[in-house]
Amino acid sequence: MTFAERMLKIDRRIIFLVIGLCTLLPLLYPVGLPIKISPEVRGVYDHIESLPEGSVFLLSLDFDPASKPELHPQSISLLRHAFRKNLRVIAMTLWVSGTGMADQVVTQVAREMGKESGKDYVFLGWSPGGTAVIINMGQDLYGAFPADYNGKPTKGLPVLQGVASLRDVNYAISLGAGNPGVEAWYVFGKDKYKFELGGGCTGVMAPGLYPLLRSGQINGLIGGLRGAAEYEILIGQKGKAVAGMDAQSATHLAIIVLVIMCNLFYFSSRNRARQQGQARA
Amino acid sequence: MSIELIIGAWVATGLTLFIFTFLYKDNPLFKLAENLYVGVSVGYTIVKTYDTVIVHLIWKPIVENGEWSLLIPVAIGTLMLTRYVPKAAWISRYAFAFIVGVGSGLAIPRTISSFILKQIEDTVRPLLTLVPGEGVTFTWSLLNPASSLNTIIILVGVSSVLFYFFFSVEHTGPGKVVARTGIMFLMIAFGAAFGYTVMARMSLLIGRLTDLIQFTDPSYGSPSLWLVGLTILTLVVMSRRSSSKQHKEE
Repeated sequence: MTFAERMLKIDRRIIFLVIGLCTLLPLLYPVGLPIKISPEVRGVYDHIESLPEGSVFLLSLDFDPASKPELHPQSISLLRHAFRKNLRVIAMTLWVSGTGMADQVVTQVAREMGKESGKDYVFLGWSPGGTAVIINMGQDLYGAFPADYNGKPTKGLPVLQGVASLRDVNYAISLGAGNPGVEAWYVFGKDKYKFELGGGCTGVMAPGLYPLLRSGQINGLIGGLRGAAEYEILIGQKGKAVAGMDAQSATHLAIIVLVIMCNLFYFSSRNRARQQGQARA
Repeated sequence: MSIELIIGAWVATGLTLFIFTFLYKDNPLFKLAENLYVGVSVGYTIVKTYDTVIVHLIWKPIVENGEWSLLIPVAIGTLMLTRYVPKAAWISRYAFAFIVGVGSGLAIPRTISSFILKQIEDTVRPLLTLVPGEGVTFTWSLLNPASSLNTIIILVGVSSVLFYFFFSVEHTGPGKVVARTGIMFLMIAFGAAFGYTVMARMSLLIGRLTDLIQFTDPSYGSPSLWLVGLTILTLVVMSRRSSSKQHKEE
């Protein structure tokens, strides 16, 4: 057996170990590689920056703990930015399995920024129906969410003053890990009730959302942990996403090297097999 | 630090390591964590759904506020349960008909508008730009999505991929060239999607490893260090047991 053939049959656990080390070492010993801001992430940041104080900002945390590493840093950065700009924040989720986590992140950032529930922000929780909830909110926000997550009636909350439906929202962002997510918010929300929409998503979903970005259906897109890191840089508060970027770069490099090596070994063993076949003939 | 946080750290560390043991081989620790995940997820969903729907959206409004009109959707929803009674199962079709009818009515026009008409509108753009005073211009910037060059690339890409999926004509001669171009565009799209998928999966690994590093802290009781040792020891014991069992069978 040649070296190339032996390498092609290498124990896959060795590859797992290499990837594991490429992830772990940069986390333990960060280098601080530069992070360039992409126009799609800047689109979200610039729009929030342009909103006047007291504008209504809706953040829909449409993910569950399975997507936490990518979307949790995004939600923390967006909430910090919105609270710093003194926007009125309406947070909610369309994913029942993410309700507790969404409440935890909103409460944690609000406490950190000294914001008060009911006055500066409200967490509406989850309501059944998926996309139907968006339509319901477009008609009557209080019908879709008669009470917030803590059971307080939403009617009369100072943060919702002058907000009757989605038409009164100045900017909405859906952080989606699937369906319902960004697409649902566009189809059943923005397209019908005409508010500005931005998106955040997992890396897997990002290529599918670029057509919406290009056509202007969403005005910005934060994609995966990389997008979260860019947003952390933009607001000047580095967090878990920036800390993970060195590891991300190292693993990508390792995977590129592995792909190239595998191709070289594959073609080398194929050529050898062909030569042997010709020699026998 | 609160006891809840410390217990949470130990549980999270343990379950993460148990799931990671699958990378070595399938084993009972992985199965335990996997089944626990499924059980907890389903349990959480059931409890949250019951609390939100039955208690807060049905029971309280009807009993406390006298919103009797809610009994209509409740009745339609209850029809679904007749699926469990074979003789009365046909009644559930009314509920399904209602859901399918309303769902289709809401989704079809919105989806056509958002994903077909808007995307066609964005795809069919003028190839040349008419600038007042400058006349007809052609912009070459690849970085500007609205540039003339990108418009042509999109036009070629969309046409060739559509032709590739047009099976009524044999892909020979010039048709073969167009279909091959379509394949090239598809491969680039698959490559981009795969690249993003790799990035996403690595992000998840980074997330778990970040937590494991955080939980090496003595304030949590260093669960990562203790449980890594314990997990490895368990795997070694299990491996030895299974190999000795194999020897005995031989």
